[in-house]
Amino acid sequence: MCELYCKSDTLALRGKHIGPSCKVFFAADPIKIVRAQRQYMYDEKGEQYLDCINNVAHVGHCHPEVVKAALRQMELLNTNSRFLHDNIVEYAKRLAATLPERLSVCYFTNSGSEANDLALRLARQFRGHQDVITLDHAYHGHLSSLIEISPYKFQKGKDVKKEFVHVAPTPDTYRGEYRECHADPASAYANEVKKIIEEAHKRGRKIAAFIAESMQSCGGQIIPPAGYFQKVAAYVHEAGGVFIADEVQVGFGRVGKHFWSFQMHGEDFVPDIVTMGKPMGNGHPMACVVTTREIAEAFSNSGMEYFNTYGGNPVSCAVGLAVLDVIESEDLQGNAMRVGNYLTELLNKQKAKHTLIGNIRGIGLFIGIDLVTDHEKRTPATAEAQHIIYKMKEKGVLLSADGPHRNVLKIKPPMCFTEEDAKFMVDQLDEILTVLEETVGAQAESVIPANTARRAKVRASYFIFRKNMQNFGNLLKGVQISKCTVTIGTKPACSTVGLLLQISAGFRFPKAEPYHWSRKQASVPA
Amino acid sequence: RAGGGPVEWAEWSRLCDGHGPLAVGHCHPLVVQAAHEQNQVLNTNSRYLHDNIVDYAQRLSETLPEELCVFYFLNSGSEANDLALRLARQYTGHQDVVVLDHAYHGHLSSLIDISPYKFRDLDGQKEWVHVAPLPDTYRGLYREDHPSPAAAYASEVERVVRSAQERGRKIAAFFAESLPSVGGQIVPPAGYFSQVAGHIRRAGGLFVADEIQVGFGRVGTHFWAFQLQGQDFVPDIVTMGKSIGNGHPIACVATTQAVAKAFEATGVEYFNTFGGSPVSCAVGLAVLDVLEKEQLQAHATCVGRFLMELLRQQKAKHAIIGDIRGAGLFIGVDLIKDKATRTPATEEADYLVSRLKENHILLSTDGPGRNVLKFKPPMCFSLDNAQYLVAKLDAILTDRSQAITQHT
Repeated sequence: MCELYCKSDTLALRGKHIGPSCKVFFAADPIKIVRAQRQYMYDEKGEQYLDCINNVAHVGHCHPEVVKAALRQMELLNTNSRFLHDNIVEYAKRLAATLPERLSVCYFTNSGSEANDLALRLARQFRGHQDVITLDHAYHGHLSSLIEISPYKFQKGKDVKKEFVHVAPTPDTYRGEYRECHADPASAYANEVKKIIEEAHKRGRKIAAFIAESMQSCGGQIIPPAGYFQKVAAYVHEAGGVFIADEVQVGFGRVGKHFWSFQMHGEDFVPDIVTMGKPMGNGHPMACVVTTREIAEAFSNSGMEYFNTYGGNPVSCAVGLAVLDVIESEDLQGNAMRVGNYLTELLNKQKAKHTLIGNIRGIGLFIGIDLVTDHEKRTPATAEAQHIIYKMKEKGVLLSADGPHRNVLKIKPPMCFTEEDAKFMVDQLDEILTVLEETVGAQAESVIPANTARRAKVRASYFIFRKNMQNFGNLLKGVQISKCTVTIGTKPACSTVGLLLQISAGFRFPKAEPYHWSRKQASVPA
Repeated sequence: RAGGGPVEWAEWSRLCDGHGPLAVGHCHPLVVQAAHEQNQVLNTNSRYLHDNIVDYAQRLSETLPEELCVFYFLNSGSEANDLALRLARQYTGHQDVVVLDHAYHGHLSSLIDISPYKFRDLDGQKEWVHVAPLPDTYRGLYREDHPSPAAAYASEVERVVRSAQERGRKIAAFFAESLPSVGGQIVPPAGYFSQVAGHIRRAGGLFVADEIQVGFGRVGTHFWAFQLQGQDFVPDIVTMGKSIGNGHPIACVATTQAVAKAFEATGVEYFNTFGGSPVSCAVGLAVLDVLEKEQLQAHATCVGRFLMELLRQQKAKHAIIGDIRGAGLFIGVDLIKDKATRTPATEEADYLVSRLKENHILLSTDGPGRNVLKFKPPMCFSLDNAQYLVAKLDAILTDRSQAITQHT
């Protein structure tokens, strides 16, 4: 593959001309990808990587049917939706056919962010209410209006929560307020939304919408408990608001059993507005909002035209149609279910084997591995997660870490992911976890004998290891760990514990930081 | 359908108006080829290093003043203007925006708020938005007979800024389309932007030039429409879209290192799923190549001048034409009922557009009076196309005035 620039020049030019807020994966050692097919990516040296990250390449990178459809239409016509054209109406019809009957009106945009912004406008126009209830750790897009409703973003920056935004607890039954042992977490979490509505009403505020990702991704691969959405929808409707289901990350059959993730909650649950994006065009910039006739009519009664220059153009619609065709003809939904189940099974075995794995959750090909340093406290293993994704990269597997504590390994690969890929991925993970745990001497309780004294020593040594990992903070991105016997500072080191630090070439030392007991979040983006 | 073999090229280039996200002509084979070739190899996000995005950014930087060297890639002009707003607010720490009357900057919530063209019919003006008069020297406050309309309109901006400051408000940005399109194909008087920039920057704000409708050589003499205002004028942020990808969903924000660094200092990542993808950048590069190879900028100057000349002849002939204005292939024909009052001829404009459509010529109207015929065709628009179009226009106008004479 001939490159225009060598990798270091590419990096240098990027530093010169691309906004520094635009981050790269694996910042300490970025990858240059030049080619991709199906679920595999290739760097400039021809090294193959198994892509477990890219839900956007839904039917597989560079799928020939999708590429062909784009070419055929690009050669013929690519113009705006103010002219009648068959592609846009055909595509709208096909999309509507995948959804409950009342969701029948489509607006085409270019990105999930544009879709979510329009969803807000539709919701607000409907009854003239303004306020929005969003979930903690939610991320709905990069536009001004969406940063305001994305605690994942506004809690990090200098932005403060706006008074028309209300944040409900994420219905996380592993780490949230109401866990798997709670009698009825769905009702408990839904009740939190009810309380928020009541509070808002007391202050004379009116709810326009409740918005939620059908399954939170940036929030850590969270699957809301069954019944939660129905109960929330009831409260929100009572308050005159609408329910927006953000399917931008998780739509188009990813969950396997259903086409849309919200459908997992039962046939009696129908959102008022659904937004979709990312996988829709297999990488082509396109997105969509689907809503009810009632909401659409209220919007058009405002008198304002909605015109999106590129949205719904013939090429985008041709691409969208091709993606739907491939999902069907290759039974990718069925594949997601089968491979997803298999992968989950493999990961559950890993959970039994490795104490670092606190929780495996997911459905279809949307899975999260929640890493913890303590099973009881469920303390997020942030540094370990970063270490693991870098090691996985070395082994040719691309994974990312997310969640508010950046400790959840996210798996949402192209839908053509196979059982062999799943086995390969898990084998690499197993090796890395084994090495990591051997180094610190921390084995799963099912492996080491029930010996309290030994367990205490093992826990102590692991704890010392972690304290020192904390001290080194970001240094871990470039760290290789192997066994040796070293005394770390003045602290007594377990004789079985040692660290040999090899710093990757070109890596900068962070400035010395004071000793912290609390976990410092790694700053590498997922 | 559009595009095809030699005969069909002439035919489809009669598409004078596309709300044209077209730089180089519908379905240009080189652009299609570039997209197809890249589609077959890789189309993923900008979190991986790739040559296309950096090459494209470098090529774009060569078209701009040196200071504007940092780029963010997105998918639509609306996304670009929203990011420009975020950049300006972050850099200045201020919130308020000064915009021109009748401006349109996009369909997103944040942009409806700064688009008088939209908000006047909807939620109304927000307290952090300040509207300055459109620098329209034909229909505005200060007209062609004013000794220095640029200074006069610029001092309107100063007045708006001062009034805001007196109420304790702080200006983050002045937003303006370099050539207001929806406002009626307006060409701001020379010197206006520099003077406005002076007022805005003294107030601690930034100048955002919205080139979404008019960039990429459309004005002929320059690559960017803001460059019509002189070499000493450099905006702080430039947004581009529409024609950038010949129809492929691409857009871009260009700014200075200082503004970019301030945005980074928030610690919040900016990630756009599709923005800056290898395919979008390949398409963008192909468009730049075609613009260069086919010398479409020079072509726009030539055909634009010819078209303006023909239209001026029509103006001398038909009283309904009040003004011809424009630059390159960005032209407006302002239709009036009365020469003295300059009352917009709205119904007549509508009638003309329907008659032209019957003759297979696509045109649209804009301006607050919906009376300005907008010309912003694909850049491959030819002299023949110009001649044909004006001949038809003449015939329709003649027909119409004869019919009116017969009736009276």
